[in-house]
Amino acid sequence: MMKTKGLEKVRRFGTLRIAEHWLNAGTFILLVITGLSQKYHDYQLSQWLIMTLGGIDTTRIIHRYSGIALAVLTINHILVASYGVIFLKWQPSMVIHLKDFRDAIDNIRYYLGLSDHPARCDRFDYKQKFEYWGVVVGGMLMIATGAMLWFPTLVTRFLPGQFIPIAKAMHTNEALLAFLVIAIWHIYNAIFSPEVIPIDTVIFTGKISRERMMHEHPLEYERIFGPIQPSHELQGEIDNTAEQPTATTIS
Amino acid sequence: MKKYHCLPACLFLFFTFFIAYSNSEAALSEADQACLGCHSMEQHKTLGNGEKLSLKINPVEIEHSVHGIIGCSACHGFTANDHPKRTFKSRKEYSALAARRCTTCHAPRDNIIHAKIVGKDPSKTTCIDCHGAHSIRRVSELSKGNQYCLTCHKWEISKRYLDGSKETVQVQESHLKESVHKNLSCVDCHVRVYSELHPVREFKNRRDLSLVLAENCKRCHFDKYTRTLDGMHFKAASEGNTKAPICTDCHGTHAIASAQKDKLANSKKCEQCHSDIYAIYAKSVHGTALIKEHIEDVPICSDCHKAHDNAGPHTTNFRITVPQICAGCHGQKEIMDKYGLSTKVVDTYLQDFHGVTMKFYKQYGQAEKKIAVCIDCHGVHDIMKMKSQNAALIKQNLTKRCQKCHAGATTNFPDSWISHYEPNFQKATLVFLIDWGYRIFIPFMIIGLLVQIVLHLWRYAVNR
Repeated sequence: MMKTKGLEKVRRFGTLRIAEHWLNAGTFILLVITGLSQKYHDYQLSQWLIMTLGGIDTTRIIHRYSGIALAVLTINHILVASYGVIFLKWQPSMVIHLKDFRDAIDNIRYYLGLSDHPARCDRFDYKQKFEYWGVVVGGMLMIATGAMLWFPTLVTRFLPGQFIPIAKAMHTNEALLAFLVIAIWHIYNAIFSPEVIPIDTVIFTGKISRERMMHEHPLEYERIFGPIQPSHELQGEIDNTAEQPTATTIS
Repeated sequence: MKKYHCLPACLFLFFTFFIAYSNSEAALSEADQACLGCHSMEQHKTLGNGEKLSLKINPVEIEHSVHGIIGCSACHGFTANDHPKRTFKSRKEYSALAARRCTTCHAPRDNIIHAKIVGKDPSKTTCIDCHGAHSIRRVSELSKGNQYCLTCHKWEISKRYLDGSKETVQVQESHLKESVHKNLSCVDCHVRVYSELHPVREFKNRRDLSLVLAENCKRCHFDKYTRTLDGMHFKAASEGNTKAPICTDCHGTHAIASAQKDKLANSKKCEQCHSDIYAIYAKSVHGTALIKEHIEDVPICSDCHKAHDNAGPHTTNFRITVPQICAGCHGQKEIMDKYGLSTKVVDTYLQDFHGVTMKFYKQYGQAEKKIAVCIDCHGVHDIMKMKSQNAALIKQNLTKRCQKCHAGATTNFPDSWISHYEPNFQKATLVFLIDWGYRIFIPFMIIGLLVQIVLHLWRYAVNR
């Protein structure tokens, strides 16, 4: 355990959440590779990818089964989160508040030099909430439209035929949007942002340094450790996973 | 003086003709003159069967004949002094008897057509039937080039084949003149026959003869021949099917015409064997345009199936080339504009699920896998007009076609294909709006995020 001054760790994510992230990431990558190569089938790279994967049929099979994996992960997440919030009294820390919009504006004002401090965010800042809901809502949209495209005969037994091209239009456009957001926004924030470069380790270790927490999640920090004082000395490791809202300091 | 300039010339011509005439007159021997004493007069002999045989001889014919110098008795065997009195049953009997004399000098050569014609039944066909009697001339003088062959083949003559069938070997001169081969001579195709030697060749039947003769086409058209090696007709022929078409079956023989000139006539060649399919084609949008409206832009059989190297529509590779075949015309603006048709049909297909799948199957040699191509929805030989047709009927037919692959497809199902249109506001409104929505939203979102990244970096740099 690192014991450098100011770098003591606070547990932010449990193992299950980390596993969930990486399963989601893996599925997402597979879906992007097999999906976008179909969307942009005229490009050499796409054709090489499809050929390498064993032809268009295999590519589609991989895409569909990855889709099932994504559906399982997403539905599982929604069920677990709902159960946790309703029965285990987890903090619904991902719920979007009016403050998140204000935070976004405040932060931009700070970037532009119109304000002297960045927005003070809670456990998840507005950027993280944006990504989270993007994945959940976008994921559900992709799962629904993907299933429609997989079973057009079944779908058109109950719905007009035009729902299939509609589903396709949504699926293909939403895919591009999701890919771009992840590739640009998420990768910047997790890898290239000067605050985390070379890489944000939280999603590997599940722990965040108290100093970073103080900067990035001051409201959460204050809820746990009391008001931030510039000379505050940090000690020990804090476990503050979402599942256990009553933060307990361990050793 | 000028008036009499031509006089010497006239005199010269006059004397030349006079001398020539009197000389030829003098060429006939005294013995012959004696014969002509009687035979230059109009007289008849009544034969056994009642036929009247003219005994009059035209002296000029003899003079111009190659036999003019040998004298009457050389062929007839007697002179005016010992003229026997003879009776004959018929003219034929007489000429057969007279023609026997020819062979005393002109022994028929073996394996040439003479031996066969004359040797088999001398009483039936005699030398004089073709060469004439008193007017006999050198064969080479008779005619040159094709005319030489036509001296016999212009008549209604026929050939008997080994299987007993009898077929005409008459050639219509008019056919030769209209043919694209009009500048060739008979022997260019009938290679083992030439003026000196007309071999007798035995064939089982006429088809056998055609099969052998058609081999000669490749002497000039070798490129076409090599292409036929990939064709299914060649395959059928090499498997022993003598009915499989050879060059002459489609292109004709003596009336050989350019295949490109007349599309309708060209398509009719296929009808000879494929009449059932042709009947369906004739009712299709392409067939009616060709047959009734004489529109030559439409495809005929060979445009899709190819002429020489038609590998057959049941090969795996054929299916996958169908979009390419259709695009050959339907992707060409200058042709489609004439009929108010859209060239987008090709692209909309290629960009859709079936088209993309087909492309990959083709690219990676998975031609055996089946995916809908043009003909699966539009039909093959029975392609119909899509415009100005009963929409309900189209949908009904389309549902059936969808069901071939998509078991359990309902009448809603065909609508999942927004036909060959790019989504627009009138057709596929929602698809159009969703596409446009994203087209605006995605750049808006991404630019927004990028701006934030840039601002963030800038703030970070400033703070340091």
